Amino acid sequence: MFGYAGYWLEVNLTKGTTHKHSLDLDWAKTVIGGRMMNTWRMYEEASGDVDPLSPENTVYIGIGPLTGTLLPTSAYTTVSARSPLTGLIGDSAAGGHFGPELKFAGYDQIVIRGRATKPCYLLITDETVEIRNASDLWGKDIREASLAIREELNDIQVQVAAIGPAGENLVKYATIATSMAGRTFGRTGMGAVWGSKNLKAIVVRGHRPIGVADPQRFESICQKLSRRIVDHPEYAARHRVGTTMLVNSLNSLGILPTRHFQRGVCEYADEISGETLRERYVAKHKACYNCNIHCSRYIVTPVGEGEGPEFEPLCSYTSRIENRDLERALKSILYMNRMGLDAISSGETIAWAMECTEKGLLSAGDFDGMSLEFGNMDAVEEMLQSITYRKGVGDLFAEGTRALAEEYGRGTEKFAMHTKGLDIINGDPRGLKAYGLGYAVASRGGCHLRADPFFELTNRTEEAKARFGTEKAAMLYEEEGKPALVEYSERNCLLIDSLTICKNVGQSMEIMNPDAGAELLEAGTGIKFDVTQLSKTLSETRTMERKLNLRFGLDPKEDTLPRRFKEEGLPDGPAAGHVNHVDAMVKEFYRIKGWSEDGIPLDKIGEI
Amino acid sequence: MIKIDVERCSGCRQCEVTCAFHHSEGQIAFHLARIRVVRAEEIGVDAPVTCQQCQERYCVQACPMEALKVGDCGEVLVDAEACVGCGQCEQACPIGAIHLVDEIPFVCDLCGGSPRCVATCTMGALSFEEGVSDTVSLEYVKAQLSGAEDTQEKARRYVDTLSHPMRETWLAKASTTQRER
Repeated sequence: MFGYAGYWLEVNLTKGTTHKHSLDLDWAKTVIGGRMMNTWRMYEEASGDVDPLSPENTVYIGIGPLTGTLLPTSAYTTVSARSPLTGLIGDSAAGGHFGPELKFAGYDQIVIRGRATKPCYLLITDETVEIRNASDLWGKDIREASLAIREELNDIQVQVAAIGPAGENLVKYATIATSMAGRTFGRTGMGAVWGSKNLKAIVVRGHRPIGVADPQRFESICQKLSRRIVDHPEYAARHRVGTTMLVNSLNSLGILPTRHFQRGVCEYADEISGETLRERYVAKHKACYNCNIHCSRYIVTPVGEGEGPEFEPLCSYTSRIENRDLERALKSILYMNRMGLDAISSGETIAWAMECTEKGLLSAGDFDGMSLEFGNMDAVEEMLQSITYRKGVGDLFAEGTRALAEEYGRGTEKFAMHTKGLDIINGDPRGLKAYGLGYAVASRGGCHLRADPFFELTNRTEEAKARFGTEKAAMLYEEEGKPALVEYSERNCLLIDSLTICKNVGQSMEIMNPDAGAELLEAGTGIKFDVTQLSKTLSETRTMERKLNLRFGLDPKEDTLPRRFKEEGLPDGPAAGHVNHVDAMVKEFYRIKGWSEDGIPLDKIGEI
Repeated sequence: MIKIDVERCSGCRQCEVTCAFHHSEGQIAFHLARIRVVRAEEIGVDAPVTCQQCQERYCVQACPMEALKVGDCGEVLVDAEACVGCGQCEQACPIGAIHLVDEIPFVCDLCGGSPRCVATCTMGALSFEEGVSDTVSLEYVKAQLSGAEDTQEKARRYVDTLSHPMRETWLAKASTTQRER
């Protein structure tokens, strides 16, 4: 067997049992790995009425046949389950070093069922699988818990994925993090699902060599890809500041979320930018497994140290809430990472409260006396603690922005920036038409990583015409051709998530596409991968996600954007006056997918 | 010799991956590599550790079978026929740069004079100093060990020593930033 480890692990925490199963290779070559492998198993198993925080909700942890190989950035792991935040498909991927170590320990997927009677962690090595007592770890933050586990096992090279107090307290957007809280499974509340199972951590360590079918060919493809990464025009910037380069670049496009999306231009962007961060606080580069960009950074500040931040937390705790004090932002980000809170969702609950306060709809009296005015970092710090421990109003904030706004009512709902319950990321969709459509239709809710249609920023008009039927698909502010672009981009991102490589590299830097994927899979596994069949599976899996979400109660009308993005033009900057006519693009997207005009897959219509 | 720069290493492990792949017929597992990246995540330190072709040649000296020799480039050569797998070389190295896999000592062979780990490192954390060997003394490192440490622990301690000045600089800079505010 090449590429795949050849086994999957089934754990039942209620019964305290573990079973090692052989991987069905016929199945595996269809579902490949990572997110796709998880989605297929969830589709086969999940009932529509499973409570996300009950023992019946199953967790799927998937890596792929190329994880932990010579393939650059083959570092990723996807954790999937029904999301407690959205009620729909939940999944989140993280890089770092956990996935490759799981492969060396001998597994391609872990399936976790049931609920342990007391806190536990799962230890997986090439020799043993143990459900161990984690009573002493419960209550510890992710950094402390990871360190304690390494000390207990006397091995600093074990890879730990752990939840923090937020996950233990079932905050609905709690995270799981590896690399000492440096790399995060951030979105859709997978940390709360682990918390509901009394599962504090999964710890992996392996020595099982993984080979590829055709080492020479595989190496030559990987060398070509490495070269393309290093020669990419964005390489230098990505190496230097990583995703934090987006503070300045989105600001120059007038789409940097500022004052809770009331503006897209931030006057003090220079004070909070990736470049300023680097100059003041970055000590050195960090990297995921086998990556040649090294885009992550280690910061040392007067308020603490750690890996990060990426752009999303940085923007969530600066311009989105009108905080121009970079150091205070870093303090909150370091806290949040260790406690296990998702930056985007926690940031949105706070930004929403700030706008409601500004509009006079709510006041400190509604928030246990916390004065949530834009930029008030004292209140932000207090609120993050309240959310983590579900203290006072923190208990409501821990339910996520959608539930929070429904609870408060009084017209506050229209300021809740989410799609399907998942808070919108940091990129204003009024100036990014395809991204906006991507947020609207993404199977996990308001997220950019399902499609990441960066192509709309490229101005490669000839290529756009050939691939998507119109030059406008490559033009900013245009909407024509964007549904076709998103449809393709979703498939390519699914492929990237299934090969478990970095989306920045695979998608934004255009290293991966179905042709390259099929070639790599063949050289890696020795199994014949036909690119037509692969593309068909990617497309079918996307429709399968849709059916699964419908089973979970999705109303297709939720395929949209918050009102502001559709009705209020951006007030100033390069994208001034723009709104996103997303609803028309959604209809076109359905048509391309072969779904009904109401967004139902055609073979599903009779069943609903 | 291969020179290590702790300030540059990002902990990506490309050097280990490449080393294992080329020395093990396309297979990858970290213990198959002749270079080991210590990732001390809790202090933000990463560093590759590999044979420093030390002045003392602790491993060569410790071998009771004369199975280890110094090659033309200063690299340690292993005579697998003569080796009995006793592990005294592993025990003797103060930085954990030689270890046994299935009773065979694994140590950097400089890929015959053109080390692939150096070529693959896009951070510049590794550099190959051709013709230079027997310049590094590890006596001070050896003196700090009890003898009970395994290779992983020895490598970690070595990295702690190498990275100490860097950590001091980081912390000093952070406290200056604070004073300026």
